Amino acid sequence: MWDEKKSIALSKLGVLIFMLLILAAAVFAPWLVDWLVNFSQAHLAGKEPLFYITLYTGCIPAMLLLYELYQLLQRISRGEVFVPKNVTSLRRISWYAFLGGGICLGSALYYILFLLIAFAAAFAGIVVRVVKNVFAQAVELKQEMDYTV
Amino acid sequence: MPIIVNLDVMMAKRKISSGELAQRIGITPANLSILKNNKAKAIRFSTLEAICRELDCQPSDLLRYEEI
Repeated sequence: MWDEKKSIALSKLGVLIFMLLILAAAVFAPWLVDWLVNFSQAHLAGKEPLFYITLYTGCIPAMLLLYELYQLLQRISRGEVFVPKNVTSLRRISWYAFLGGGICLGSALYYILFLLIAFAAAFAGIVVRVVKNVFAQAVELKQEMDYTV
Repeated sequence: MPIIVNLDVMMAKRKISSGELAQRIGITPANLSILKNNKAKAIRFSTLEAICRELDCQPSDLLRYEEI
């Protein structure tokens, strides 16, 4: 039967798959950029270095975000849910999403479709930030409960 | 917290150990330790009542307000 442990394992698997995808994007960046430039039929020709900058700088916050997400899931699987470390993790995740969004926003100056990714990243960042605020309150409530004798 | 718990003083006066008091008032020794070491954020009336009953004292003998 489907249970919480399996659900967490599935989430972890999802995070690992995304990590592999980002790693693959970094490794195969030359082919990806070539494909995109060829696909655009000369519209993006000469902009390859800019794509490399976006891709490689974007990989850093994305990997850090996924690492934090994995750590968060590890703690949740150990039963440590409403702990201050998770609030820190969520705050970092939201900032990494904003950072990724910022990189894409800057990249939209040469390729407008990056604006969509910037919007999606900023949206994810704000959602995680609200979840972080809820978690922070829950941690405070739990501590009050734990220290009520 | 400016509220100080004087439980250890009262326990010494009544010559009662932490383990025994915890058992008598029905809380865990860990929770009693939280209370004794001023780590508690709140105390239930039922716990206070049980402590006062077992130590034969008033709440004012256990709690003190101190300006920080």
